[in-house]
Amino acid sequence: MSSAAGGKEVLLSIRGLTVEFRVPRGILRAVDNLDLDVYSDEVLGLVGESGCGKSVLAHTILRIVDPNGRIASGKIIFGGRDILSMSKEELRRFRWKEIAIVFQGAFNSFNPVMRIFEHMVDTTLAHDENAKKDEILKRSKELMRMVRLDPEAVLERYPHELSGGMKQRAVAAMAMLLDPKLLILDEPFSALDVLTQKFFLKTLVDIRRETKKSMIFITHDLAQVAEIADRVAVMYGGVIVEAASVEDIFYRPRHPYTRALLKAVPSIVGSVDELKPLPGPLPDPVNPPPGCEFHPRCPHRVEICSRVRPNLERVDDVSLVACHRWRELN
Amino acid sequence: MRWIFRKAALSLFTLFCAITINFFLYRMMPGNPVDMMIQQFLALGYSYEEALTRVSMALSFVPTAPLHEQYVSFLKGVLTGNLGYSIWLATPVATILGYGIPWTVFSVSISLVISFLLGIVLGMHMAYRRGSIIDKVLSFYSSITTAMPQNILGFFMIWVFAIQLKWLPASGPYSGVDPRVFNLDFVISVLRHAVLPILTYVLTTVGGWILTMKSSTISVLGEYYVTAAEARGLKDRRIVTAYVGRNAMLPLFTRFAIALGFMFGGVLLIENLFLYPGIGRFLNQAVYARDYPLISGLFLITAVAVVAANFMADLLYSRLDPRIRFE
Ligand SMILES: Nc1ncnc2c1ncn2[C@@H]1O[C@H](COP(=O)(O)OP(=O)(O)OP(=O)(O)O)[C@@H](O)[C@H]1O
Ligand SMILES: [Mg+2]
Repeated sequence: MSSAAGGKEVLLSIRGLTVEFRVPRGILRAVDNLDLDVYSDEVLGLVGESGCGKSVLAHTILRIVDPNGRIASGKIIFGGRDILSMSKEELRRFRWKEIAIVFQGAFNSFNPVMRIFEHMVDTTLAHDENAKKDEILKRSKELMRMVRLDPEAVLERYPHELSGGMKQRAVAAMAMLLDPKLLILDEPFSALDVLTQKFFLKTLVDIRRETKKSMIFITHDLAQVAEIADRVAVMYGGVIVEAASVEDIFYRPRHPYTRALLKAVPSIVGSVDELKPLPGPLPDPVNPPPGCEFHPRCPHRVEICSRVRPNLERVDDVSLVACHRWRELN
Repeated sequence: MRWIFRKAALSLFTLFCAITINFFLYRMMPGNPVDMMIQQFLALGYSYEEALTRVSMALSFVPTAPLHEQYVSFLKGVLTGNLGYSIWLATPVATILGYGIPWTVFSVSISLVISFLLGIVLGMHMAYRRGSIIDKVLSFYSSITTAMPQNILGFFMIWVFAIQLKWLPASGPYSGVDPRVFNLDFVISVLRHAVLPILTYVLTTVGGWILTMKSSTISVLGEYYVTAAEARGLKDRRIVTAYVGRNAMLPLFTRFAIALGFMFGGVLLIENLFLYPGIGRFLNQAVYARDYPLISGLFLITAVAVVAANFMADLLYSRLDPRIRFE
């Protein structure tokens, strides 16, 4: 699966990934037979409504699963290796060195009894026992400046002495500590006010320009995606329903869900009177509808939609869509 | 630094209040202990004047003087170490305290530390291996022993280790050695005599530490920063100690301080069963003998211990948890 598509090299390739949780009502499928590629040197925006499985997918890429969950099937290939079949020690060395993640609740990522700098030291030493403290300090300061934090004011502080926004930025800095090949950012601005969001997003765009780092940027704010992503994957009910370049997603959306999602967003396309909330609730992940997950809410559904689940079909070099009717609806 | 002084001042004030309340409560109750002491002497055939002289000698104040004068001379006594005379032992209360305190401090601090450390290790282990055999066995053990009176287990220990197996002495602080000669034989004898009381204390209290540590660890394991540390590829041992253990132990220090503060009152059953000459043993006897000056002195030392332990806990806690550090 590392073959080139559109002349780009595949960095991360997910195939047939299914993640399930045991819940009182039964088995909840948060990710359902999902396929997704991430290319080198790209920022992939991952969007979808709350609860569609974005965070679960992101965590599973680093094989982090809540105790009541399991990875039922699938492969996650990165650099020729399947993350899901690594040994414990291999996995430990892989994490953060190859792929780092900024969690959705990133501001809670720090141990309350340790200074920020001690986290940097811990993380570096876990992957390089011979690392020197002054080198770690130098690198940490560099990274703090990169996320526009004052190194002196942050590194020697305890987590509770920083604001939520400062912590989120400090985690982003820590994510780049070992220069990973892929950075996953799961709604990195969730706890910030709009102004700080804008500022941090701009910082990230700058960092992206400077470092050329590949990223998966998770959000439900399409405006943020437009600013930072090269390509967008739209997730619905535990699967990817459409993946395409940013331009295509915004101006030539193919999946009815993508269209509905765009209509629900102000300021990107259309005016406020066109703004419509998505009709109907998300599918119940414990009892998903048969056929296409979106068909109960879809204005274009036909008989086959409620019977057969559509495959993710290749539209062109970059674009993929999972809809029985994408050809006729275009 | 300044808050340490403020804390220290507050502790002293608390202690002062406890002593004061204790003094007035007893002096103002009808049928109060001082009157009872006079009655005791009258019953022995002394005249009222003689009884009064005897009681005044035992106490550090004159019971017929106005209350505020009594209080002032009582306070003076506390400050100068004159706590009165024990009626039952005819010895200065301060001397008795000086004799009993080392035995209790020695046996209880060892017990407490062992119990605390064992509880932390086992509790954490159980939190990590929930549902395992060890978890089930220790949970069961903890719930029955925390409800069991210490002297029942103590009897059992004496029966097994002292009577049946004859491995260890059943009672007393030492035997067959001269306590005035501090040598290896003395130390060995003291240690051998301390084994059963310590074991009894540990076995009956470790369950509480285990259960607290287990639930504390479980809640820390659910914290984001633990998952975050795993995501960063930290080694298990580092996560267990610096991330999980360190944070899970924080609430236990408060408990530790409380247990330390109540060490003099908390070993009454054990010290009496093993005839161990600590504060608990004297307290028991003093109550039976209605030895008011001694009871009052024992109360004083307990109050000092509680207040001092709380003060130390505050200092220690602020070292361990940066969130409550005031500088
Ligand atoms: N440990 C768990 N046990 C049970 N269900 C879970 C667990 N973790 C996630 N889920 C369920 O999996 C589904 C996907 O959750 P996820 O957190 O990935 O959503 P999300 O797309 O990230 O949403 P948001 O945008 O709100 O962050 C949800 O239905 C959620 O309830
Ligand atoms: Mg999420």
